[in-house]
Amino acid sequence: MNAIEITNLKYRYRDGLEALRGISFCVVPGECVALLGPNGSGKSTLLLHLNGLLPEKVSGDGAVKISGEALSPDNLEKIRRQVGLVFQDPDDQLFCPTVAEDVAFGPQQLGLGEKEIAVRVKLSLAQVGLAGFEQRQTHHLSHGEKRRACLAGVLACEPAVLVLDEPTSDLDPRGRREFKALLREIPATKLIATHDLELAVELCARAIILDQGRIIADGRTVDLLSDEKLMLAHGLERPHILHHRHPH
Amino acid sequence: MDHGRGHSALHRAPAGWKLAGALTLVLTVGLLPRTQLAGLLVVAVILGGLCVLSRIRLLFLLKRMLLLEPLVLGVAGLMLLQPGGGKIFVAVMLKANLCLLTTVLLANTTPFTEIVRVLQRLRVPWLFVTTLTLMHRYLFVLADEAERMRRARVSRTFTRGRRFQWQALSSVVGQLFVRASERAERIYNAMCARGWK
Repeated sequence: MNAIEITNLKYRYRDGLEALRGISFCVVPGECVALLGPNGSGKSTLLLHLNGLLPEKVSGDGAVKISGEALSPDNLEKIRRQVGLVFQDPDDQLFCPTVAEDVAFGPQQLGLGEKEIAVRVKLSLAQVGLAGFEQRQTHHLSHGEKRRACLAGVLACEPAVLVLDEPTSDLDPRGRREFKALLREIPATKLIATHDLELAVELCARAIILDQGRIIADGRTVDLLSDEKLMLAHGLERPHILHHRHPH
Repeated sequence: MDHGRGHSALHRAPAGWKLAGALTLVLTVGLLPRTQLAGLLVVAVILGGLCVLSRIRLLFLLKRMLLLEPLVLGVAGLMLLQPGGGKIFVAVMLKANLCLLTTVLLANTTPFTEIVRVLQRLRVPWLFVTTLTLMHRYLFVLADEAERMRRARVSRTFTRGRRFQWQALSSVVGQLFVRASERAERIYNAMCARGWK
């Protein structure tokens, strides 16, 4: 059974902008897939669909299936339990005053008991390297710490599929390196929308290139990113890391 | 900044007691007839004692009060329009400022998160508590955003005309409103993504 199955997904914003024009692809459990493409190509719009946040009224037409189950108004809660979405701007996601409260938000919504919530908060904070940050105010964290706290908040819900929107944007090189190492350790199925092409090469065996709401290419990350013509035609470039990679 | 974190006896006192005390003081001041100057004086002395106990600089507290003073003046000023309004004006000013000092003192000796926790324990409707928590959380984000926009505006402001500055400010306020409402939508999405019902 596929972890994510998208069939001919189309979406038009209310202002008439056609963001997705018939997207189809599958992701198998445990796979890590990079979603690449220029700004405005529809990456973020696609990610919102995986959590039933778009369209405003979920139609249940079977265009989006998570673990074989079609997204519909009746199973939104169940789907959101399975798909953890990490948003691009950490300030949007960290809406509670302290780190512990924010990480506990998801488990609380799942209806878990206080003891279980405390355990999950502790474990997920340790997992992202923020042990001891429980009582820190979310608005006083550094950008890197905010990103980690966001990830902890999602990991606390123990999702089967992790969807990340630009996880390394605005991070300094060390923050980027550490965050990549962190993502590598997480066993969940991952779909990562990113402009960080080195991250795509290092973490994702497979990449999907999106442009103007259509899938342009879907294949091995190294093959796609080595295709200079394809890269330049869609606002991307061959990453530096591939220039130094030997063919053997 | 969270000014509620300090080390005085008043800072260390339980938030619930402080909230109850503040509420009692505000209600007392509000319910006292305006002719009862002695009563108001007693409240003022109590507040003065608490100010000393809090070890917060008086100038800091006065500055905080000054921020809200236009509001107080606006309400009290209306009293001047009625016959014999002078006395009422003085009484309203006195009462309002005592209440203001009470809340300023509470806000600066108790972390906001603790006040919210007390409200939760008191079973204040969750919608109200959530709104209050979110407001406190995003006040800083909005303030940062306003400051970034102000800097960006200042860096490209070459004329010193006051009228132009007001015009620019009005567009900043408009922009801030639009951005705040867009952010609200994104936050709501993030909440839904983690199971908000």
